[in-house]
Amino acid sequence: MANYRWRDSPDVVARLVNADKIQTFRTQEVLLKPNEACAFIVDGRIGDILTETKIASLAGGFSRWVGDQLGMTADDRRLLFAMTGPMDYWVPFEGGLQNGEMAKGYANLRMKLNTDDVPKLLNWFANNSPILTRDGVISILKDELHGRVITPSLASCASGADLRGADFLERFEMTAEMEMRNLLSNLGFTLLKAFPITNPTDMELVERHRAKIEAQMEGNAINLEAQKAEFANKEALTLQRIEMETNVARAHARGQVTVKLEHELKALRAQEATWAAELERDRGKVVLAQEDRKHASDVRIDEADAKSARAMDMFKQVQDRKAERISNQQEFQNQRMDSQNGVQVKMMEMAKDAGALTPEVMAEFLRQQTQQKAVDSDNPAPQGSNCNCGTALQPGWKACPNCGSAIG
Amino acid sequence: MIGTPIDVLPYIRGVQLILEGYHGYTKDKRIENDALVRGEIVRAAGRVRSHMQNIFDSEFKRDNMEHARAAKRCMEECDLLSEDVEKAPGGMEHAFLSGQRSPSMKDLKKLIKHDHDVIEMVTKATNIANSAEHSVAVEDENTQQFIMQATQKISSCRGFFGARANILKGLKTKKK
Repeated sequence: MANYRWRDSPDVVARLVNADKIQTFRTQEVLLKPNEACAFIVDGRIGDILTETKIASLAGGFSRWVGDQLGMTADDRRLLFAMTGPMDYWVPFEGGLQNGEMAKGYANLRMKLNTDDVPKLLNWFANNSPILTRDGVISILKDELHGRVITPSLASCASGADLRGADFLERFEMTAEMEMRNLLSNLGFTLLKAFPITNPTDMELVERHRAKIEAQMEGNAINLEAQKAEFANKEALTLQRIEMETNVARAHARGQVTVKLEHELKALRAQEATWAAELERDRGKVVLAQEDRKHASDVRIDEADAKSARAMDMFKQVQDRKAERISNQQEFQNQRMDSQNGVQVKMMEMAKDAGALTPEVMAEFLRQQTQQKAVDSDNPAPQGSNCNCGTALQPGWKACPNCGSAIG
Repeated sequence: MIGTPIDVLPYIRGVQLILEGYHGYTKDKRIENDALVRGEIVRAAGRVRSHMQNIFDSEFKRDNMEHARAAKRCMEECDLLSEDVEKAPGGMEHAFLSGQRSPSMKDLKKLIKHDHDVIEMVTKATNIANSAEHSVAVEDENTQQFIMQATQKISSCRGFFGARANILKGLKTKKK
């Protein structure tokens, strides 16, 4: 058995085959895949519609020839093969928008043939060639699609931007679903999906060009900025390098100067040390001379002080002896006074005992005693007084031993 | 030979009420039964889609975008379910030398119960879609709710049908 191929190109959608015209010695068979269907039209009546099966003895072969010769087979046998899977059909279109722009593009229709609807294709095959291709389907649909779907849809768009909106796509699909049903149903097709793909309009091309130019200008500006930044970087780098080299040179020169100055400073410090030593030496000499002079002066002063101290000591000794003498004199006077007082007391007691103590006696006694006292204290020094210079005065002194002023 | 499990007979009867020719995966009729079940699911999904299509047309013309949008979403969900079911794995016809093991009684039970539940679910979705269209017709306030419920049912149905692949996947390796 030989396999009969009803479809030799991906564009073939359906084919009507007259089985009587397949006359071969070998029996033909055909294998129908799940997306293929075959409707039998036998003697003008639609028979079975098969899919997912193998049709044996489709045509040809000796037994069928014999049957034909004997008139035991059908007079007319046609096989209608069709693809039942979803297929895409691209219909080109061109139409105007509200603002006068022209929109070009393709309308995609995704359609399928239901197995039960395959015989409806006979409507088309009745007046056309027995092979239906994608282009054939498109030519059938084109005019009606333009008139009922594309033109009204485009006319509802104010500008090219509206063509890209989801609303337009949805409305396009719904319009196609409703308006194309009559035609598609007559042919046995079921519309699964419909959507337009529009090329950019002239205005959109202008906008695109403008956007491109602006992007290019912005790119150039960015490049320029980047270049300027690079130059600024280079400039800063160069300046920094020069500054660094200058600093290095300056530091080098400063180092040399410092070394030279330090050398000179060392010499100066050595000179200074020499001078300081000489100065110290001279100062030492002066100090020594001063010390010598001072020593000599001190010696003289000490000698004078010693003399003065000896004089004072001697004077003190004189004074002491004088004070002792006066003290002795005072003590003697006191003893004499005491003895006189004792005598007087005895005499008074005796007078009392004798009964001679009269007021006249008493008065005489007091008078004599007063005279005595006056004799005893003739020119006496005031007791316990001080001189104006602060020296304590002893009784019997005529003048202050310290300041020499007379004691009065 | 594995016969039809008795305890799943109620499920088979239930499916038979909808699908004439369904025998619960009896020997030599498993591929046909599988095709029947899948065809029924696709057909029910198509009915839901038709209801939603009507709602969509009506609401879109009224410029009621909320309902139209919801209906469109439900239609897309129906398309996805149909595609899932049409392109779902069906298992192998001959287990011998195919790398698969023969389905056990347990597998068949699972499949039959699963078929019943999926068909029941998609039937409910159809009823809800019908109610939604009726709601649009009488202009009550439950339209959106019905549409959303139908969408949810179809989505659940998609997920639930995916579990079938897991059952069939268990047949791919022979037990040693």
